[in-house]
Amino acid sequence: MKFFMLIFKNLRRNLLRSLLTSAGVMVLVFVITLIWSILGFLDIATSEKTSNFKGIVTEKWSIPSQMPFAYASTLENGAAREDTDEKPIDSMTWQFFIGSTEKGKMGFNSFLFAFCMEPKKLLTMMDELDSLQPGPRAELDKAIKEMEKNRQGILVGQKRLAALEKKVGDRIKIFGTNYRDLELECEIVGTFPLGRYDNNSCINRDYLNASLDAYKASKGKPHPLANKTMNLVWVKVPNKDTFTKVSGQIDNSPMFTSPPVKIETASSGVSNFLAAYKDLLTILRWVLAPSIIATLAVVISNAISINVRERRKEMAILKVIGFQPNQIVFLVLGEAILLGVVAGSISSIGTYFFVNRVLGGIPFPIAFFSSFPVLDGALWWGAAIGFATSFAGSILPALSTRSIKVVDVFSKVA
Amino acid sequence: MIKYLDLEYAWVLIPMSIGFFALMLLVVYLARIPIGYNIRNLIVRYRTTFLTAVAFTMVIGVLTFLMGFINGLKKLTLSSGNPENVIVLSQGATDEGISNLPFESMGDIAQQDGVVRFNDEPLCSREVYLVLSLPVAEPRPNSPSRRLLQMRGLYDPIASAKVHSFELLPGGSWFSEAGVRPSEDPNKPPQVEVVLGEGIARGLGSDRSEATRLAAKDPEALVVGDTIQLDRRELLVTGIMKTEGTTFDSEVWAKQSVIGPLLGKTNYTTLVLRATSKEEAQKLEDYFSGKDTNNKFEKSQVNALTETNFFKSLSQTNLQLLIGTMVVAAVMGFGGVMGVMNTMFAAISQRVRDIGMLRLLGFSRWRILVSFLVESLLIALLGGLVGCLIGYMFNGYKVTSIVSSGNGPAGKAVVFRIVVDWGVIGIGLMLSMMMGFFGGLIPALSAMRFKPLESLRG
Repeated sequence: MKFFMLIFKNLRRNLLRSLLTSAGVMVLVFVITLIWSILGFLDIATSEKTSNFKGIVTEKWSIPSQMPFAYASTLENGAAREDTDEKPIDSMTWQFFIGSTEKGKMGFNSFLFAFCMEPKKLLTMMDELDSLQPGPRAELDKAIKEMEKNRQGILVGQKRLAALEKKVGDRIKIFGTNYRDLELECEIVGTFPLGRYDNNSCINRDYLNASLDAYKASKGKPHPLANKTMNLVWVKVPNKDTFTKVSGQIDNSPMFTSPPVKIETASSGVSNFLAAYKDLLTILRWVLAPSIIATLAVVISNAISINVRERRKEMAILKVIGFQPNQIVFLVLGEAILLGVVAGSISSIGTYFFVNRVLGGIPFPIAFFSSFPVLDGALWWGAAIGFATSFAGSILPALSTRSIKVVDVFSKVA
Repeated sequence: MIKYLDLEYAWVLIPMSIGFFALMLLVVYLARIPIGYNIRNLIVRYRTTFLTAVAFTMVIGVLTFLMGFINGLKKLTLSSGNPENVIVLSQGATDEGISNLPFESMGDIAQQDGVVRFNDEPLCSREVYLVLSLPVAEPRPNSPSRRLLQMRGLYDPIASAKVHSFELLPGGSWFSEAGVRPSEDPNKPPQVEVVLGEGIARGLGSDRSEATRLAAKDPEALVVGDTIQLDRRELLVTGIMKTEGTTFDSEVWAKQSVIGPLLGKTNYTTLVLRATSKEEAQKLEDYFSGKDTNNKFEKSQVNALTETNFFKSLSQTNLQLLIGTMVVAAVMGFGGVMGVMNTMFAAISQRVRDIGMLRLLGFSRWRILVSFLVESLLIALLGGLVGCLIGYMFNGYKVTSIVSSGNGPAGKAVVFRIVVDWGVIGIGLMLSMMMGFFGGLIPALSAMRFKPLESLRG
């Protein structure tokens, strides 16, 4: 305990240097926390699960996938035809509606991207929404019930809502871009919880399908995309075996010939989509993060080296009063590690709460992710980075204290 | 404000950085600051000087590298567009992937005044743009099992090549009028003729297993005569286009009448018109997009942009990356400032008596300030220059990314080269000087406040 107090007092003695070094550690740990969160999230999204995992059914070749809505019911059942065939435990269909609140113009303040789906599936099938805390879940559930009651209801992500300069209760007209000449009149009945769906919207699929029927009735011919409205079908299966069986049922079904479809695990689908970002992610993972860690180690090393050089006399006195060389090494190492661990922890824990609770995620739009949460690992990353970099940065200056000779120091003083 | 940042003019930061440093040296000369004393101090404390400079080197090296990445992406989008070309998409579409052009209006759009005539026809390229999810034939462990392939179906490849100003590498040929040719195996369906961009030829070439690559005509890239399997159909490479440095580098071109029905997209997504001049192209953009309210296209509602403006609109990714890089640069820069501040405070605390002596010899407070600032700037310049040099080592390195308008998940996968030019080096040097200046300023201010006699007492 006395040793720890000595370390603490030494840090307090040159408060300015301790504060400057801590500030350097904090800002650099902040950036590393953000980078690791983005990479960690993508790693989780692309790693295969062993249970309760999701499969995505899409058109076999084209992107964006465009399948007839007639495929929906069969695919939601995993193309099961026999009693012995496996069925998914849950499923959901996605129809994308891209549009603008201003006719003929598409800008940041008018753009809208919506998933058209069954509202009740938001709470059982959508990533992150299926594991909400009771408070936000109840709020979303209320909005979903509103969407089921009023099929023109729309949920809009909080950032998109702000960009559109609208609020819950407002009515909006959306002019279709992918569905040319289709206009949807919606009432905003709620928002998504802050986070992943900040820039997305959700419309009841029944409303889109009814609008396509209305188009046919008024124009006398079906909409050009009427037979290509379904973009994705998600199926949830309990384990890998069931996935393999469902996958076989879909692949061998005679129902899906024009266009043919494919099923892949969600992680595989995301992984394929992210392939185009491979180099960017490699740069983040192998250039940026290591460079910041190295910079951190250098900043700490510099501060500790200066410290050791300035305190040669003090260390000589410690030796005279009986401190062993190793104890002095531990004293210097302890100062660096305490500073690194405390500053790193404050930074990463602060980042975790600030980004997740206040900002609602790291705003870094990549592929179909608009923002990323700071992962729970951040609660210990700061301490670990602080420990590792301060150890690496201070080990040489600390070992150099062993070579301090009392005679040399005091002969110079004399 | 960020959208007004343009790396094209960033080279002016180089003379600005040098000018700033020269100004400091001029002040040193006029104020008769003992610069030799400062340099000797840096040499005597070589370990601290070295470590601080290393921190600068790493910060500036990373920044230069990241800016080079953004610069390369930007240059790619700018060089892809021809200012005399007008790209016509369906109304509201900002991306080819979500465009559906009405068939009935295509002829009317192309027949406008101001469009170049070629063989007595308007010079235009009728195109359908598709993205395919192609299974990798021989996937390697831990690599994606599918590759996104950008295909462009063309009505007339010769006209399209003329509009986009592309030529084939020697030995290649454009696809035939039919767009297919019989397979050598009579039991197989006809092969679909395709022409590849240089980048995608290398990309698809690298998807092959080691054994296949070694046995191939060119182990690095697909060449004329090679085939790509698309379900039961084979795509036969008939030519490779000279497309390096453009977004078309990652595309596969084929006959629209073949791949459109094959992949379920029978209408066109894009119509590119070659105007007689830049001015005519701008007029056509105004006419089709309805900007000119007195004279606008009435037959159907479309969205038109000159190709230069279209590719500028695909720079949203660049903007996002630029913002990200600026945040990283600011944070890393702050870390560097803390580092140099530590060094300078230590340097000052070790030289309290020196400062007292200088003050007694008649050096005024501001000359002490300049003396320590110059010391900090020297470390910054040294570290910054080495950092820029490290960043420059990545100049020309090939990478892949996506360009998009930022509206929705659509975008184009592109291959491009990192460009570390004078603009990027200018930014690196300027940031380095700023870090040195702000890191040295507070310690130097504290040094100038020392009282001579108290300093000499220690």
